[in-house]
Amino acid sequence: MLFGRSKRKPIKIPEKKVQEWKYTTCNYCSVGCSIEIGLDADKKIVTTRGHAGADVNRGKLCIKGLLEHELFTSPGRGTEPLIRERYFDKFEKTTWDHALDTTASKIKEIQAKYGRDSFAVVSTGQLMTEEFYTLGKLTRGCIGTNNYDGNTTLCMASAVSGYKRSFGSDGPPGCYDDFEHTHCLMAFGSNLPEQHPIIYWRLKEALEKRKFPLIVIDPRVTMLAQFADIHLPITPSTDCVLINSMMHVIFKEGLHDEAYINAHTQGVEELKALVADYDPKIAQHACGIDEDTIRNVARIYAKAPAAMSIWTMGINQSTHGSDGVANINNLNLVTGNIGKPGGTSLSITGQCNAMGTREWSSCSGLPGYRALENEHHRKEIADFWGIDPEFFPKKRGLAQTDIFPAIETGEIKGLWLVATNPMTSMPNLPRIRKALEKLDFLVVQDVYEDVETNQYSHVYFPAAVWAEKQGCHTNTERRVNLISNVLPPYANSKPDFWIFNQMAKRFENGKVIHFPEDTEEAFEEMKHLSAGADRTLDISGMTYEKIIAGRGIQWPFRKGSEGVKGDPRLYTDGKFQTPSGKANLIPIRFINNNEQPCNDYPFWLNSGRVVEHFHTRTRTGKIGNCNKFSPTPYMEMNPDAAHELGIMHQTYVRLTSRRGDAVVMVQLTQRVPRNMVFIPFHFHDCVNRLTLGLLDPYSRQPAFKQCSVRIERIEAANQAEAARINFESRNF
Amino acid sequence: MTQDLMEKPAVQSFDPSRDNVSQGRNQSTGGAGGGSEQKGRSNHWEVRTQEQPYAFLPEQPIADKNRYGQLIDLVDLTGLPKERSLFINENPEVGSNPNRNKQHGFFFTADNCIGCHACEAACSEKNENPAHIAFRSVGYVEGGSYPDYKRMNISMACNHCDDPVCLKGCPTRAYTKHAEYGAVLQDPDTCFGCGYCTWVCPYNAPQLDPVKGQVSKCNMCVDRLEVGLKPACVSACVGNALDFGVIENTPENRQQCKTDIPGFPSPDITHPNIRFQQTKSMPLELTRTDSMPVKYHRDEEGSYKPAIDQKAGKAKHWNFGRLNSRENPLVIFTLSAQAAYGMFLITIVSALAGVTGFSEFVTSDMFALIAFGAAGLTGLGLLMSVTHLGKPFRAYRGFNNLRHSPVSREGLGLALFKAGCGITGLLSLPYNSWFMGLFGSEAYVSEGLATPVVAAALFAIIAGFGGLFYMNKCYQIKARPFWNHLQTTTSFAGNSLSLGSLVSAIIVLPTLALSDIAIDSAITVLGSTFALGLILEAIGLWKHNKDLNRSENEGGAAHYVQCTTFGKTYLLRNTVLAVNLLLAIGLLALHVAEMAPTTLLLAAWVAVAIASVLMALVSRALFYILVIPTTMPGAFFWKNKGFEQHARDIGLADNPNSGVVHLHH
Repeated sequence: MLFGRSKRKPIKIPEKKVQEWKYTTCNYCSVGCSIEIGLDADKKIVTTRGHAGADVNRGKLCIKGLLEHELFTSPGRGTEPLIRERYFDKFEKTTWDHALDTTASKIKEIQAKYGRDSFAVVSTGQLMTEEFYTLGKLTRGCIGTNNYDGNTTLCMASAVSGYKRSFGSDGPPGCYDDFEHTHCLMAFGSNLPEQHPIIYWRLKEALEKRKFPLIVIDPRVTMLAQFADIHLPITPSTDCVLINSMMHVIFKEGLHDEAYINAHTQGVEELKALVADYDPKIAQHACGIDEDTIRNVARIYAKAPAAMSIWTMGINQSTHGSDGVANINNLNLVTGNIGKPGGTSLSITGQCNAMGTREWSSCSGLPGYRALENEHHRKEIADFWGIDPEFFPKKRGLAQTDIFPAIETGEIKGLWLVATNPMTSMPNLPRIRKALEKLDFLVVQDVYEDVETNQYSHVYFPAAVWAEKQGCHTNTERRVNLISNVLPPYANSKPDFWIFNQMAKRFENGKVIHFPEDTEEAFEEMKHLSAGADRTLDISGMTYEKIIAGRGIQWPFRKGSEGVKGDPRLYTDGKFQTPSGKANLIPIRFINNNEQPCNDYPFWLNSGRVVEHFHTRTRTGKIGNCNKFSPTPYMEMNPDAAHELGIMHQTYVRLTSRRGDAVVMVQLTQRVPRNMVFIPFHFHDCVNRLTLGLLDPYSRQPAFKQCSVRIERIEAANQAEAARINFESRNF
Repeated sequence: MTQDLMEKPAVQSFDPSRDNVSQGRNQSTGGAGGGSEQKGRSNHWEVRTQEQPYAFLPEQPIADKNRYGQLIDLVDLTGLPKERSLFINENPEVGSNPNRNKQHGFFFTADNCIGCHACEAACSEKNENPAHIAFRSVGYVEGGSYPDYKRMNISMACNHCDDPVCLKGCPTRAYTKHAEYGAVLQDPDTCFGCGYCTWVCPYNAPQLDPVKGQVSKCNMCVDRLEVGLKPACVSACVGNALDFGVIENTPENRQQCKTDIPGFPSPDITHPNIRFQQTKSMPLELTRTDSMPVKYHRDEEGSYKPAIDQKAGKAKHWNFGRLNSRENPLVIFTLSAQAAYGMFLITIVSALAGVTGFSEFVTSDMFALIAFGAAGLTGLGLLMSVTHLGKPFRAYRGFNNLRHSPVSREGLGLALFKAGCGITGLLSLPYNSWFMGLFGSEAYVSEGLATPVVAAALFAIIAGFGGLFYMNKCYQIKARPFWNHLQTTTSFAGNSLSLGSLVSAIIVLPTLALSDIAIDSAITVLGSTFALGLILEAIGLWKHNKDLNRSENEGGAAHYVQCTTFGKTYLLRNTVLAVNLLLAIGLLALHVAEMAPTTLLLAAWVAVAIASVLMALVSRALFYILVIPTTMPGAFFWKNKGFEQHARDIGLADNPNSGVVHLHH
């Protein structure tokens, strides 16, 4: 054995020298992890750590959260407002006043010329809830356009829609603690280890304490599918067939919860009649899961004392997204698995504050889950804001995915994009690009001035990010959590809250409606609007102090509530937000309207997330220790299929679809079936040049994951050219 | 399941109202120095408010010896005093961890790893590593057929081995194996960036940074260990895959404690301090997604052994351009040192043996050129080896580990050889008429070589032999089976003879010819030595090919690359070697038989010589480029040599956030 030396070598390990820890919540995904940001004696951010006392993450963070503090000074951040006459001119730096004045007058000009709804606003799931509330006030109350939506239409709209259809209201009824109580977990199109690692860890912890069956439905052999007790490699988009068939078995074998159905649901007869058509013998041919397995899974699920379903984009991003959610709810209602520990329908949300925008942004209605269609709601809000209720439209306008086609037709002439990057995130990119070119006026408000969409803007507002601001997020389990302001905004960027407030001052109603200067005051307004014993979304008992003390509080948390713990579950009393108080059982007939693989385009194109990147990579692409794990896009392809086409591992291929083409590097793996390829969606000018994005009829969410492509081999001599094309799309 | 299990609150620790941290949003939620969590612990690391049980090292019974029979208590093993401070960042406090003198190690449950990069991110964040450096990396092996597909992720850092080959190999003594935790720590400020530790480590633990020009590696988070916390990577794991503790202890809820998993190199090389659980059945064959032509095959006992994966097919290519690599300085270094040694050795030995021509030559003025030429050529080689260092100005540290490192001994041997050659030259100057003429003096006359000159020359020969002996040793590395072969020895010895005789001939033959001394014997000796060198090299190559063709390990994989990616170059090299050998023997026969005019023969020899030098360069370049170490499997982008090269080629490496940097520094 070799030991040292007479004189020891010094041991040097980087020391962060933290003087102060500031409480905050992660700004990436919807898990809602509590993070402490460490400041040194000079108030410089030197590190972050998970908060060990927070119920959500219990000290753990994923790769993105661990490195999140590096984003404040990452390259490409917007420093000053920018302006130009036409999108192909050069940007010039300008003052905030000039940028805001120009934008306000452009909005008014367009609205005067083409009508109020000819200017659209598309926001995000990334801002603070108070900012969403303020943007809603500005858009609904001051600008007065009905074409206002969030990019949550790309991720959670189907869950929202499905929840509303089944339970009468949005709001995931379960929580992470349900893992500790469930006796069977079924994951539909949800790859927790890659998409929500901390939720995966909570599940893993629960499984290590007490084993229960894990059933994963996914056409790809993800890590979760590999770890599942039963993996169902389903034919893309046929989840409704599978669920109908499971319910067929459940009713046929009398495994349903008769008492629960009778007491708390309506429409069981119609449902029974429909699922009678879905005998596993027939259904197996549609969904690709054999009849024995369907029966087996149905029995395990129905017989479990408590069973829960989780899902993510595998359900939501499909033409049957809303139907899929409603059908998962059906399954849980007929087995009595709603509102009890370990029995729930838990959508695993995408963005950090997708819930906040659903609750408070007024995108699809009015603040606090209120509807434009409801006269009482319109009056309530108008009175509170001090404006005429007639200013509000009487029904919801266009969804994000309908706004772009409306630009195409000339219906919409101006657009304000807030923290969203349709040039990378929207399906059928060639169409989006054309639409953006047509706009008379585009204002882009983003943290990064090199965000791809900015190439078509006329005005750019540089926005502050994460802990440069203060406010709340709501996570997937309805937990409101706080982001403390830790440092001033970068350069001359401004909090979105400030930008909305300044914009409001430039509109008539902005002088009528009160726009508080501080987010906490806005939070007080929201609390006031949330109060109500019959409302689920009630945050009236919360304060910023209590939120920190509780490391986040789940709603409902009503005024006068003791302690700092909200209700972990909704509908525990079996009372739903429908007029009758009963949940709706909704028969879902499956009609296959997807683009299918065919002779010309023989491969399914599937897309999804990788753990190291978030959304369109504007942040994680700039953080080397995230980006290095996939600095360029890739395509998972089955080696047998590749062999047939003469395609080699780690070479480039060209994909074509009925929309366009894309160049991508091939990764051969048996993780995908022979007739499917998978490409992460984070990269500009890649998968979304190909996607069709048929819209769900209820949620208007695009079917990102179901379309067909053809694979063209690129000869060895042209590989270098392909590499260059790919590389040039990676330039931020 | 019983009802009471369902009703019991799952995790008791999450009632935030119980704890007493400050409630204000603008107050710190725990300052450095810590709250109640820090009580009874040293000050090396601030324990988080409400730190969770998973982060603390467990209390478990500890065995006396590990499975290799070595004591786990390192104070008992070494007799070093207990209660020593580690002086982490010059902190004199002694850690509060009661087991700090026990050998610790990682425990990896391969069944559980989800490849989420949390361990890598936590490590890089804590150690402030740039994107292209990682003390811990996750790669994977995969197998099966859809949907019966299995991927096994492997997270690997330093294994703080019982027998740290890095420590032994390091010429600067930058490494220490501490009695505290058995941690093998490396000091980047001592390191001069030769990268030899990265050659010998089978696990790719030491990281050579081409930007900084130095190595750094996993420090076991000894600062966290001192207060009883597990390393940052372990605490960050969200798959419940990575764990840590006193070696041979099986963590709670784990049933296995074994020393190998598919993709992990043989633990026999270094006795690494890592243990595994891997109970899930894996397919017969597991492949790597990175560019290494290696896969793993299950043997009868159920363990996985490397096998060659013919990823690039069987087509043969030239790839001449790729012969030009960052190892170029080492190509020049080894060849010139070997040529220098050969020319000096052949000349001196032939003269001492009384070969006609050589006896006369050594008394000529031109002998100084042989002595100083050998010194100069060695000097050029050493200079090249220094330019290969990340920090050339620290070159003097190269002799710091004569006790263990072949690199130090090689350097010392060659430096002494160079000095010996120089002294030989200096001592010959009084007998050198040209030199003495500069001072208007007569040269001394000696019958053959003067005794002091012979003494110096013999010293140089012995030192040089030592240098070349350890040069060979440097490459006999278990983690690099392509090198760990007789062929390395025969190549080095063969080149010494063949190149040495060529250089010697360039000086000796013209000298003799101009002095009207018969060159026949000299040609015979030089020609035979040259041929002998080629024969040696050919034997080595033949055996290398024979052995590696049957080898299934990384050596065989390297040979596969040699036969495909560089297949045409390899064939050309072998052909030229064979032709040269035949020509040399033929020319030698013609010469001895006096069947051809000397000028014609000399012209033919020159052609052979030029071909030999070129082929020696190609040969040595291949030697460096081809070697495949027994590294851990990489991922598709990260730790994939093929992708790294591609990123450099297409310009992705210009972006520091790509995780790939250019190799020049």
